Amino acid sequence: MAMERNKGSFLEKNLHIIFPMPAVIFVVVMMLFPVVYTLFLSFTNWNLTSGMPLSIVFLKSYQKVLREPRFIAALGRTFSFTALAVVVETILGMIVALILNREFKGKGFAKLIMLLPLVSTPVAIGIVFNLFYDPTIGLANFVLTRFGFPRQAWTGSPVTVIPSLAIVDIWQWTPMIALILLSGLASLSSEPYESARVDGASEWQIFWRITLPMVTPTLLTALILRTIDALKTFDIIYAMTGGGPGYASETLNVMAFKYSFEYFRMGQASVILVFLFMLVLFMSLLIVRMRKSLEL
Amino acid sequence: MILAIIIPVLFPFLWMLTSSFKTQVDIVAWPPRLIFSPILQNYERVFREQNFLKYFTNSSIIGISAVSLSLLMGLPAAYSIARYKQKRLSMFILIARLMPGISFLMPWYIIFSRLKLMDSYIALILSHMLITLPIIVWIMSSYFETIPIEMEESAMVDGATRQRAFLSVVLPIAGPGIVTSVTLAFIFSWNNFMFSQVLSMERTRTLPIAIYNFVSYAEVDWGAVMAAAVAIMAPAIILTMIFQKYVVKGLTMGAVKG
Amino acid sequence: MMKSKLMLVILVVLTVLSAGAQQKEIRVLLANHPYGDLLKAAIPEYEKATGVKVNVESLQESQLTTKLTTEFATRSSTVDVFMTRPLQEAKMFYKNGWNEPLVNYDFSDYPQNAMNIVTFGGKPYLVPMIIEWEVLYYRIDLFKKAGLSVPSTLTELELAAKKLNSDDIAGIASRGKGAAAVTQLSSYIYSYGGTYLDKGKAAFDSKEALDAIRFYGKLLANYGPKGVTNLSWENILPLFQAGKVAMWTDASVFYGQIVDPAKSQVNADMVGIANFPAGSKGSIPCFPVAWGMAVARQSKNKALAMDFIKWATSQELAKRAMLANIPMARNSVWKDSEVRSKVHPGLIATQEHAAKFGIAYDRPYMSAVGEARDLIGEVIIESINTAGASSKLEALAKEKAAAVNELLQDTGEYGVY
Repeated sequence: MAMERNKGSFLEKNLHIIFPMPAVIFVVVMMLFPVVYTLFLSFTNWNLTSGMPLSIVFLKSYQKVLREPRFIAALGRTFSFTALAVVVETILGMIVALILNREFKGKGFAKLIMLLPLVSTPVAIGIVFNLFYDPTIGLANFVLTRFGFPRQAWTGSPVTVIPSLAIVDIWQWTPMIALILLSGLASLSSEPYESARVDGASEWQIFWRITLPMVTPTLLTALILRTIDALKTFDIIYAMTGGGPGYASETLNVMAFKYSFEYFRMGQASVILVFLFMLVLFMSLLIVRMRKSLEL
Repeated sequence: MILAIIIPVLFPFLWMLTSSFKTQVDIVAWPPRLIFSPILQNYERVFREQNFLKYFTNSSIIGISAVSLSLLMGLPAAYSIARYKQKRLSMFILIARLMPGISFLMPWYIIFSRLKLMDSYIALILSHMLITLPIIVWIMSSYFETIPIEMEESAMVDGATRQRAFLSVVLPIAGPGIVTSVTLAFIFSWNNFMFSQVLSMERTRTLPIAIYNFVSYAEVDWGAVMAAAVAIMAPAIILTMIFQKYVVKGLTMGAVKG
Repeated sequence: MMKSKLMLVILVVLTVLSAGAQQKEIRVLLANHPYGDLLKAAIPEYEKATGVKVNVESLQESQLTTKLTTEFATRSSTVDVFMTRPLQEAKMFYKNGWNEPLVNYDFSDYPQNAMNIVTFGGKPYLVPMIIEWEVLYYRIDLFKKAGLSVPSTLTELELAAKKLNSDDIAGIASRGKGAAAVTQLSSYIYSYGGTYLDKGKAAFDSKEALDAIRFYGKLLANYGPKGVTNLSWENILPLFQAGKVAMWTDASVFYGQIVDPAKSQVNADMVGIANFPAGSKGSIPCFPVAWGMAVARQSKNKALAMDFIKWATSQELAKRAMLANIPMARNSVWKDSEVRSKVHPGLIATQEHAAKFGIAYDRPYMSAVGEARDLIGEVIIESINTAGASSKLEALAKEKAAAVNELLQDTGEYGVY
């Protein structure tokens, strides 16, 4: 017994190091080289089309890329796509969660249906939606014209392409937000509600003053994940427009892909990737900070 | 009301499903044809011509392995984060999630080919673990936080070490959380396109890439694409249906217990 | 004495056995292309005849490029033979030293303009396999109903498009999706007397080229399908198959798809193939070598790879492909009587015309062609968005031409031809 305790006490004392160690080692090994390599490349001008070996140019690639209007436009698009998608997903998710937050027949079934979009393969969904969005033979316009609306160009016009892509993202991820919020709502105690109703508060006031504040922490957790993924959205844009028409739907991630695998400008592509990573990091820290301040 | 929610969600799936039984002519017809004579050729093409079973097996092997290994490493890490409040550690593991996927491709390509691991399951499993590990750690650390610390403490009072308490007391009741994280992690691995596309070769090709088999140089076989899409998503959907209760409960449990 | 002789015999036998025991294998990368499919089906014959195991992979075209580049650039390739697009990749691959020069191959059966594209520094680095040319697909039934004859000039083309255009059916369709449209626009530009690169310098901002670009924009904006700036061949094809398009200018390779009854609502007798209409300088369609095959310089099985490539690009397989409506680069198969009797006469006639008058490039031939196409695509889209009337077009074209020149300079190709 004493022996066991002694052996165990080394392990136990350092449990907080030993337990996470395998995971940490794994992450370091798998990520270290890529991170260093990408960073290194961003200081070079490696361009496969020139056939010349790479040379270190320090910040020249950064200068070139960060000043280019196309980069700035891509940055803007990354924000507009992410903002549009995440905001709508949050609002819609909240509405759906409120609607579903009661006992009704088939609730389990409804929840199941809600799970389906978020488990679908984004590339497959993108290809399917492509046909759906076709201005001439697609179902989307068919439905619109049946209701008397004019035909849209959907992904065919630089004006409507970002919202059209956002719709696909919204379709796929609103259920996740809704389900997380639903579970958050279900865990709220009913006391504040009862007393509020007794005091004669309106539904809207109840929602705004009671429900929303109580559910915000859960919401923010979900938002962190969703924002990170939305900023990095790739599969659906790649499958649906490839960044087009022209560059109208080119976000940073898509631009980095193009620079890497179509223009073969590895050095400059790495600059974009470094920047994108910083951006994602910044946004997530921001939201974490927001969540922390609410925990008081 | 409820229907207004369910129909838009369900619609694309229904359309995909019906299209997978149509000929190309019927799919691109305008006005869209609701009534058509169904054919099975699309599925035939998907399963027979394109060696679908192999892709399915590959995706399964890679997914299961990645998730299992991630559990092995992730559960202890998540526990540690929950109990020792290691916020920085949690952030560190999450950073893997923040990096854009493309930045991994070339460097990994170099490493794996030098190690002669290309076209091996190992390369793909390792890369997929970078997706599954953060998910498992993220979900399980929140989940462990909701398990009252009294449980381990009473076990430790009885003389068990912390790690023993972890194994014998905490893990057994962490079932729902584990199922949630495993299901989600597996599905994300299943649906991954980018890593598999660059790192796999014929032997280890996974399902999402198979869809592009039908996007050829001079034709797009829409019927086959739809059938492939259905076939690719079906397992994930079936998995979700089976574990639905756990997934939803897992999400709920975390909140209720608190 | 006997013992040592015996040892010698055993040694020899063992050596021979071990050499044979090493399974001969090669890795071949193909594109998702009808010819790729044909090769895949024929490979078992090759394996049987030679005892070499062929590991085949086929990928969608741009994914194929990504994979090849990743493998070659990281010097970690196991590829032996691969299909490739000469006009898109050959220059870049050559510059990076990724192709093996093909010295033991008989190229006499290939046309000179095809060989010009694949030869660098006097040596061929690719075998041209598949050719394409610009044609005009049109709906015979719609033309008859409107009492129109097949347009032979671009002016007539516009008039016909106007007459045939309705709410339901687009008068004419052609690619509008930026980079993808560059290849089809080339024929329009050539027929107006312009070109993309002239003696190694960007020339698409010339008056002739701009006239063509304006015409293209006007044509598609007024009579083209909705959302045309996001349409490439894979989007227009189903439209044509659904009967929604009256005319379509694109590559000859799509004919089979258009009339396939399992895929298309239009019958073979409703679809005609005509020469690309003439512009002010005549009918000058593009006539590119769409696909070729090469041996990887990093290959460790070069002898086996050469043997495979000779078989895969042989005249016998080329004839088989021709009979399956895949147009091949070899001269002899076009003269073969069996082929001539089976292939659609419209294809034969337009091929002859293109071979005589066409230009072998359908894009600026340079290493950084991917980026150049995107730049030119911007000009095309501006033209389509303004129905060819944009006042900014000259300035935009000049700007993009300067950018392309910069690309040429960066890669040491400026002024080189």
